[in-house]
Amino acid sequence: MSVSQPSPLELRLSAYVDAQAGDGDWHDVEDLLVNDPQARALHDALRRGSEVGRRAFDDMLKEPVPLDLVRSIKNAPLPRRAVRLPQAPRPGFLLKPSGMQTFIACLSLFVLGGAIGYFLGSRPAATGERVTIAAPAQADRDWLDDIIAQYRLYARQTTHLAEIPAERPADILEWLTTNTGISFRIPDLQGSGLAFQGARMFTAGGTPVAQLLYRRIEGDADGDVIAITFTKTRPAGNRSLEEIRNETGIVTWVTPLATYMVIGPSSAADLDDIAAKAAGLI
Amino acid sequence: MSQPSPSTDIRRDLVALLPRLRRFALTLTGDASDADLLVRGSANRAIQKSHHWKGEGRLENWLFSIMRTTWSDEARKRKKAEPAGIDVGSATERKKTANAVLAMPDGLSAAFLLTDVEGFTCQEAATILGIQADQLAARLCAARLGLASANAMTSERRA
Repeated sequence: MSVSQPSPLELRLSAYVDAQAGDGDWHDVEDLLVNDPQARALHDALRRGSEVGRRAFDDMLKEPVPLDLVRSIKNAPLPRRAVRLPQAPRPGFLLKPSGMQTFIACLSLFVLGGAIGYFLGSRPAATGERVTIAAPAQADRDWLDDIIAQYRLYARQTTHLAEIPAERPADILEWLTTNTGISFRIPDLQGSGLAFQGARMFTAGGTPVAQLLYRRIEGDADGDVIAITFTKTRPAGNRSLEEIRNETGIVTWVTPLATYMVIGPSSAADLDDIAAKAAGLI
Repeated sequence: MSQPSPSTDIRRDLVALLPRLRRFALTLTGDASDADLLVRGSANRAIQKSHHWKGEGRLENWLFSIMRTTWSDEARKRKKAEPAGIDVGSATERKKTANAVLAMPDGLSAAFLLTDVEGFTCQEAATILGIQADQLAARLCAARLGLASANAMTSERRA
């Protein structure tokens, strides 16, 4: 982009126009505006530019929107899940009892009910006892939140993104497989514009979690970090998940061996595509 | 019964925001027909991903991010399609336009629109555009100075 870099003075005055300068800076700038005619002229130019631009953009709102554009959005089909991620195996239990099985089940329930009734009837004092049922803890939310917090912390690192760099794939495979107990391959996602940067390991919910880190290498999103993460912890109900939490997008899928996640910025609209690709390669 | 309620049908919100979405698209493409295509593509993407939107924060923030990502993907595809040796910058280069705000170099008008017009903070605007906050501040400053200078030249010509 052929844009000349504004001078430090121009940047300070521009920040002052936004009233974003800190307290100390503010006084400095005000003194400068009183004493320096060049700074005053620059400040006026910045404000004038802001006004001119605002008016021009306001005028653009008056232009009519093409009707076919409005119609195409109004009539667009509502979402249908196009990407099928691997699902956790479900028990193949089919309830089709035969007549004899039904009879035996009814008889068993009758005998069991009679036995419980007899037992309670013969021990009237026991009826006063209370039974406490504890609600199951929502532990899965905690470990997923841990994983997202880790992502948010490291995705901003420019020099310390990975613990083991991408140049040592054998080390990464041995280290993560040994510690997580999950064997895997490092997916090559160059086709999706993602370059492998290396790997990390941490714990979430008391279980080791492995993370393979990729960086976008093309387009304006250049630099965005996308992480493929896996652990032996299971989400509640072994369900796959696709949502945004704390400005971070997460797509999960579950296999008999592990739970896998693709994590990226909430603006990354292709996380499920990346997940579908990674699921076939990892 | 299966029809979504008005508050959950993102298509209604998209239509309501169309003029602003189109304006942002213009800052990215610099051309009205490309902007309409971009809005259409981004709106479809947003509808398909609408289950991601949980109603936290501003919807525009999410939609603008999707639009910028869609435009980046499009630019990447064009880059791959271009024969070797052609500068891809030229594909996204500003098309000649009478509008001073859209005639600015790539990136300046979008930065200006998001902060000075749409009212996003520098950090929010930088996140939408996928750049660092200091880079956004530099673009914003350059845009303001550029607009002031273009306005001064127009006034001189009229005088």
